[in-house]
Amino acid sequence: MRRFTLRDSIAATVLAALALAAMPWLMSDFALALTLTCLMYAGLAVSWAMFCGATNCLSLATAAFFGMGAYVTAWGIGTLAYGLGVLLGGLAAAAFAALVGAAVLHLRGAYFAVITFGLGELVRHAITYYEKAYAGTVGRVISEPPETVTIYHVVLLVSALAVVTALVVRASRLGLALRGIGSDEERARTLGVETRRAKILAFSLSAFFPGALGAAMAVRWTYIDPLSVFNPFIGFQTVLIAMVGGAHTILGPIASSVLFSVLTEYLRLQFPYLFLVILGLLLILLVLYLPGGLASLLERWRWGKSRA
Amino acid sequence: MREPLLAAQGVSVRFGGLVAVDAVDLAVHAGELVGVIGPNGAGKTTFFHALSGVLVPTSGCIVIVGDDLTGEGAHAFARHGIARTFQTPRVFKEMPAIDNVRFGLEFAGRTRSHAHDAFDEPGTILEFLGLADVAAVPAGGLTPSKQRLLEIGMALGARPRVLLLDEVAAGLTHAEVELTAQLIRRVRDELGLAVIWIEHAVRVLMDYVERVAVLHQGRKIADGDPRAVAKDAGVIEAYLGEQGEPVTEPGRKAA
Repeated sequence: MRRFTLRDSIAATVLAALALAAMPWLMSDFALALTLTCLMYAGLAVSWAMFCGATNCLSLATAAFFGMGAYVTAWGIGTLAYGLGVLLGGLAAAAFAALVGAAVLHLRGAYFAVITFGLGELVRHAITYYEKAYAGTVGRVISEPPETVTIYHVVLLVSALAVVTALVVRASRLGLALRGIGSDEERARTLGVETRRAKILAFSLSAFFPGALGAAMAVRWTYIDPLSVFNPFIGFQTVLIAMVGGAHTILGPIASSVLFSVLTEYLRLQFPYLFLVILGLLLILLVLYLPGGLASLLERWRWGKSRA
Repeated sequence: MREPLLAAQGVSVRFGGLVAVDAVDLAVHAGELVGVIGPNGAGKTTFFHALSGVLVPTSGCIVIVGDDLTGEGAHAFARHGIARTFQTPRVFKEMPAIDNVRFGLEFAGRTRSHAHDAFDEPGTILEFLGLADVAAVPAGGLTPSKQRLLEIGMALGARPRVLLLDEVAAGLTHAEVELTAQLIRRVRDELGLAVIWIEHAVRVLMDYVERVAVLHQGRKIADGDPRAVAKDAGVIEAYLGEQGEPVTEPGRKAA
């Protein structure tokens, strides 16, 4: 069996994105909204795995980046074109990640997880304070949001870019450096990797996408306040999706974001009072019996075939 | 006199009140194979950490081919041509063996070239080490002795000028030790590297090196021809005063 090259994978991503781009004219509003959620989580999970899957660092900063992006839109709407706001949201998150990354990326394990979680809270409270003290408001109303089709296409574009970026990074020297860092950081350093720079670069790159997605999705809500856009649930959900899919792969997080979004929606409609309980149970079972994520199923199957 | 590839000048490492390495000088030239021996806790590994930039010495400096790198990170040492192995092999367990070797070629060794063109390919390095058949196997799945060899391969991938080997013979069978020692000599001869080789099992090392330095309680107490060092009163006392095998007259196996 021929292995997929980088070019094949990028071509497949572009084809899939083109096919998905036609969906607004083929789907019901409900199905389109669900697809939009899938795409958003796919973009979030793939960009999270790009850095965290390779380096084995558990970042909970996704909510912070997402919320920052959302606020770029909230502040800019009316004066800033929607697409430009999305780009700026991504850049703001990437710049923020580079800045704080320089300060916290030497931490590992639980310390890194806790401090990245704290970052989200820090930004949330800073924005709450700023809005109250200087803008005299708690939340902001999004007036004249763009059409759903536009939002869908922008989110699709950002998520497809996240996948392509993840593919390119994985095949590059940066990807090799990140895997080395994840395996044994000091060893990577003794083989010539300036690990600090590699980590800051990758962390910042991976923050662009949640920032851009936050800016893109903000217009879906008519009213934005810090509590709703800096929702830690978004961060946890992203981590879970990536881990359930298999954080060291790219296809795994994509598959699992579809599974998650559809399952969440289905359970919510069928068992409105029990859905979180069922979801929690499913998660526990998955983590217990499939620690390598969904991707490990495929690997096992391939391995079985190659041995047969 | 030629400029040494690596020169440690008055290197000391202190951990709180404990002096692990005490004002050690060591200069190594191209083509030299130098052994570093010493009883347990003599500071050998700590000295290596300082030489490879893993640890910043408390005082003294380390000059690599004329550049003072004291205080720089380990990546700077690696890019200047210092490559090392660790006492317990530290391979990238999840990566295939061949990617472990490619790693150094992609980073530390990217801008230098080997004296030996063949060593620009990770496959050739694996072949040289007799690991060609496990190229695709994740390094964590290799036997400990193969992981040791692979670590040497990782260091060779970094296109080193100085190769630091930390107890590469530990835990190997007698035959494997012989093979490893011959391999180290070949590397030195074919690539013209300087090799510094720490070993606790003194006898093996004495047979293969042309010069040996002895560390005892952090200080360098002898440095020179293995036969002369073996007769040195201070060295004998250092070894007999503690546990460990006494230094005996090595049976020369010079090529």
